[in-house]
Amino acid sequence: MDIGELETTAALAQIDLGEGDLERLGAAVSQMLSYFEKMNALDTEGLEPTTHALVKDNRVRSDVVVPSELADALVDQAPEREDRFFVIPNVL
Amino acid sequence: MSAPPVSAWKQFQAKKEAYLAYARPWEKRIGSFLTYRPEAAGPSQSGSGPLAGLPFGVKDNIAVEGFPLTCGSKMLADVVSPYDATVVSRLKSAGAFVIGKTNLDEFGMGSSTDNSALGRTHNPWDQTRVAGGSSGGSAAAVAAGLVPFALGTDTGGSVRQPASFCGVYGLKPTYGVLSRYGLTAYASSLETPGVLSADLDLVRAVFDACKGRDSHDQTSLDPERLPARPVKTIAVLADLTGLDPGVQAVYDRTLVALKDLGFTLVPVTLPTLEYAVPSYYTIATAEASANLARFNGIRYGHRPVYAENPEHLVRQSRTSGFGDEVKTRIMVGTYVLRSGFQDQFYTKAQKVRTLIRQDLQKVFDRADLLFSPAFPTAAFIHGDKTMNEFQQKIADKFTVTANLAGVPALAFPAGLADGLPVGMQFTAPAFGEDRLFEAAAVFATRVPVAACPGNSLDWSK
Repeated sequence: MDIGELETTAALAQIDLGEGDLERLGAAVSQMLSYFEKMNALDTEGLEPTTHALVKDNRVRSDVVVPSELADALVDQAPEREDRFFVIPNVL
Repeated sequence: MSAPPVSAWKQFQAKKEAYLAYARPWEKRIGSFLTYRPEAAGPSQSGSGPLAGLPFGVKDNIAVEGFPLTCGSKMLADVVSPYDATVVSRLKSAGAFVIGKTNLDEFGMGSSTDNSALGRTHNPWDQTRVAGGSSGGSAAAVAAGLVPFALGTDTGGSVRQPASFCGVYGLKPTYGVLSRYGLTAYASSLETPGVLSADLDLVRAVFDACKGRDSHDQTSLDPERLPARPVKTIAVLADLTGLDPGVQAVYDRTLVALKDLGFTLVPVTLPTLEYAVPSYYTIATAEASANLARFNGIRYGHRPVYAENPEHLVRQSRTSGFGDEVKTRIMVGTYVLRSGFQDQFYTKAQKVRTLIRQDLQKVFDRADLLFSPAFPTAAFIHGDKTMNEFQQKIADKFTVTANLAGVPALAFPAGLADGLPVGMQFTAPAFGEDRLFEAAAVFATRVPVAACPGNSLDWSK
């Protein structure tokens, strides 16, 4: 994979790559992708892709309100908050 | 020397001092826990069920109320779970209680537990070696006798491989039979909670207590009943190559033992075995890139000291919060899902997955179980250059097949090679856990589980 492709991929993944990272992680990523090409040796023409091994149908449930007591405890995990709002840096 | 029987563990509260005197020095040497709270009182009433009064360990990517949920990552180092995973709440209802959270490769990504950002775990059999991974802390804690059983998670072998390295049983159940609610998602279509213990009956009891459909997980299933009949035929790979000599020797001895015990061995080939690892890693990384997108330092988790704007905050959080292996897998997964590459990689891998399922079905048309090694090597030395991250992935070939097909598999202790434990593996058709337990129990009558040196009964007496 060339540097440009790697940088595009890292940007999509919201990860910054420093100079050392480009070389080190780039090599690891390329090695895995080349290895994946091994699959091309198999003829898979006409086969359905498997998305889940055992789940065959979509499941529905009744649309009813179920109380959860977790909200406050979850909000308490925020690295920075004001009352019940998450604080982030200014957008503008 | 043998490991403490389950009955000894029922004395845990009464013999706490003696347990601690035994366990503390062990834990100092092996580092199996990220959070270890054996002093905390267990339930006041332990009841009479098979798990009543038993302490257990939980891999630190499974939620336990009031305990950290770090996933071995700097990203979640300060997160404390406000709720229990379904598997944990079901075990608590059965009378068991959590005494610690065990170390793991960051987000379950690795085969050594050396990818943990928060602690170093050593194999209790030889502390220069890894405990395996990613549920390495759970396997080490069980092998050292610090807990009678522990929960792990198995996405591509993460329960079975460390079980093999540490000489204990490791069960990866049928996909969906154990709820994933409360599990930190890595590769949702592949992963399941799993059970590690040196006691096969206890593995079964824990599995029984946890199994069944859960309203919090739409992919969870009630187990179906397979026709009840004794296990007679076991499929063996006719063209098996690439095992370390020590593992090969244990493999050969196990084959002889199975035959002596009256099983009929059926030679089979799995033509897709060579493609299981690339298919697995394509799918696992693709799912990981989506699942780990939620970690951004806004609602919880690692946040940089300063960020110019929200986008910068997210990038900084992820760049400084994730380790190298996690970043590598996220990028691989992002790439294989990019427009223009999807058919070449992701769809191709899902079609190969279909072929692998068909291959395995053909095996189960001819035999009750499939027998194979769990891993081509015994526990390797920390930092072994011949077992780098890439080599560890290639070596997952025997375990990933069960995850791709959603079927159950059990790693069981099969003997020692040069003083290190080596595990073998049975794989069964979907919902065939009973067959795994049955065959492993028969094998244990011939080759009993070897206890790790230094794992003694003393504290309970």
